[in-house]
Amino acid sequence: MTKRLLLSFAAGLLAVFCAVSIAQESPELVAEAETRETFRSLDEEVQDLKKEVLDLNRDLFLLEEELLFPANSQVAFFISMDVGEYFDLDSVNLKIDGKEVANYLYTEREADALVRGGVHRVHMANLKTGEHELIATFTGAGPHTRDYRRGATLTFDKGIGAKYIELEITDRVKKQQPEFVIKEWE
Amino acid sequence: MMKLKNVLLGIAFSVFAATSLASSGLEGQTAPDFALKSSSGENLRLSEYRGDVVMVNFWATWCGPCRQEMPLLDELYARYGRVGFSLLGVNIDDNQSKAMNMVSELGVSFPVLFDSTKEVSKLYDVDAMPVTVLIDREGTVRYVHLGYKPGYEDKYLDQVRSLLRE
Repeated sequence: MTKRLLLSFAAGLLAVFCAVSIAQESPELVAEAETRETFRSLDEEVQDLKKEVLDLNRDLFLLEEELLFPANSQVAFFISMDVGEYFDLDSVNLKIDGKEVANYLYTEREADALVRGGVHRVHMANLKTGEHELIATFTGAGPHTRDYRRGATLTFDKGIGAKYIELEITDRVKKQQPEFVIKEWE
Repeated sequence: MMKLKNVLLGIAFSVFAATSLASSGLEGQTAPDFALKSSSGENLRLSEYRGDVVMVNFWATWCGPCRQEMPLLDELYARYGRVGFSLLGVNIDDNQSKAMNMVSELGVSFPVLFDSTKEVSKLYDVDAMPVTVLIDREGTVRYVHLGYKPGYEDKYLDQVRSLLRE
């Protein structure tokens, strides 16, 4: 009888001890959970902030591009080549309204890319609406690999909206000479 | 008189440059791209050498240390040219024929480019003579050496080898 009493007393004591120790541990557990939660929300905040920075960066980039090259005053100049049997392109010099704006030297690879159908944007500028004069000077090797230098002039009218100008080098089979054509694209 | 002035100027310039093997603000930056006419008549563009370790050496005919350095650079070029090392010598003289004479006199075989308008020299802040720029396979400037003193070639050798190994 006494043994049973002692046993139940011991069990009770154990239960009380466990309850006390759980009660002691629970604030720690709660605190840990809280910390975890704080970290999670902090991490989310950082992620959101990162996303916002990326968005802002993109917006700034677009804004900068629009400010530097507003679509309305933009003029782009492209060089293209058709066949190119009578002309090995060496360099192109562009002058707009008497002012030199581009002087581009073509390497063998770049000239080859043009012959294969590539188009090269040699210059991009912003011009006021109105009349402008473009002088393009092409240097290279002409028929029989003789030094060749030719100019082409175009007076173009810059209206509202972007303008694209193509400087095309073609072969004139009849004369066995290269030909330099300037085309306007609206 | 003019010649003497040029020589004195050259010596003063090189001594000043040689005393400072300073690091440049270009180190760690993407190497500014350029295209120049070469001694063979071809146009050469730096960006077309991407994937190679490139050394760009700015030199002039009036610069004494350049004369010492160029044959040593040519040895480096002959040794490592096959394994992805390119060397471009950029001459900054106004007179190309003088430069060509010096090239044939020294017997160097690496491509020599002419920067008579000094545009490329400005891009690379060339304020000493010679200036040797080492560019890695990614197109980043890794080392800039101002001037030349005997012994620099060992440094070049180590740096070229380590960049080739990357």
